[in-house]
Amino acid sequence: MDHEQAQSNFSDYVDGSLSERVRSEVDQHLSVCIQCRTELTGFRNTVGSLGRLKQTAPPSFLGDITHQIYKRSHGRFFRPRWKLFGRIPFEWVSLGTIIAMLIYYIAVLHGSPSGVRPAP
Amino acid sequence: MEATLRWRGTLTESPAAAAGSTTQSPASSKRLARARARALGQRVPYTMSDDERRLIDRLIERDEQAFSEIVHRYGDKVFSLIYRMLGSRPEAEDVAQDVFITVFKTIESFRGEAKFSTWLLRIAANHAKNRIKHLARRPTEGVDPNDVSEVRVVPDRPAPPVQARIDTPDAILEAAQTDRLMQEAIANLAEDQRLLVVLRDVEEMSYQEIEEITGLPEGTIKSRLHRARMAIKEWVDRHTR
Repeated sequence: MDHEQAQSNFSDYVDGSLSERVRSEVDQHLSVCIQCRTELTGFRNTVGSLGRLKQTAPPSFLGDITHQIYKRSHGRFFRPRWKLFGRIPFEWVSLGTIIAMLIYYIAVLHGSPSGVRPAP
Repeated sequence: MEATLRWRGTLTESPAAAAGSTTQSPASSKRLARARARALGQRVPYTMSDDERRLIDRLIERDEQAFSEIVHRYGDKVFSLIYRMLGSRPEAEDVAQDVFITVFKTIESFRGEAKFSTWLLRIAANHAKNRIKHLARRPTEGVDPNDVSEVRVVPDRPAPPVQARIDTPDAILEAAQTDRLMQEAIANLAEDQRLLVVLRDVEEMSYQEIEEITGLPEGTIKSRLHRARMAIKEWVDRHTR
């Protein structure tokens, strides 16, 4: 096996997908050829460096997509959630609570059994 | 990008029908069919897992939580693939968003014949290729391989792997230079080689997955990948001497 043949197998050699026979031929050539050994080291380093290029999506990725879908679907999907106490002014919440308590008080007052009298 | 799109209203078919009929048969007959296919040297038909099927069914019903789960599961992979294909972060963000919007719109067309991730990455690869063609027509807005800001550390997010293991300014600079050099080398490859390098060496996918995504036979993938790797090595050698 010459340099060219050995180097044409580098990719499969690094991937470990060479047949036993071809691999041993490449190994045999590498054991006597310093030039191909150097080339193989560089080749391995290059492939290894590519493996460190993974990227992560930006933090706002999901939000950006759902916003796009919301816009393009005319608000049909991914409508922003209605946050009750985040959107309604505090005064309105207070007023509503007072009215609810008043209604409850009146209901209790008028709903109590009128025929019941304290024992003599 | 702002164009109004038509959205399909209600479901036109049941989720089960849309997902394909391969999983309708009992588990034993599926095993038998797979064994028979292997014995005949045929490609083994893919069967969705229950978890995957449920997720797809929910997505077909336009379940927003299911969509969020899909983005969480596959967002990084899709973004990374597109980013390395295009070499530009803003372009990659735009295209990756489009990929997921396409998935949301066309999920009914997923027949369950391959893994969902394979289908998704095929869409991502096609979108990236289209954008490369589009950018080639407008070269001034294309990839800027000298833009070192592309490898900046994002403050409120775990840093990319190259920066994750480093702590000194020198090391940060060196990692940024290596990243830039590799990105330039990838950008100089032919489009088909670029995809193969990204799928195999960056995303570390198996040859079978790459076959399913690209539709190319294994022999072609291996020979193109070898040429691509050699070209990258030559580029790196030339620019580090």
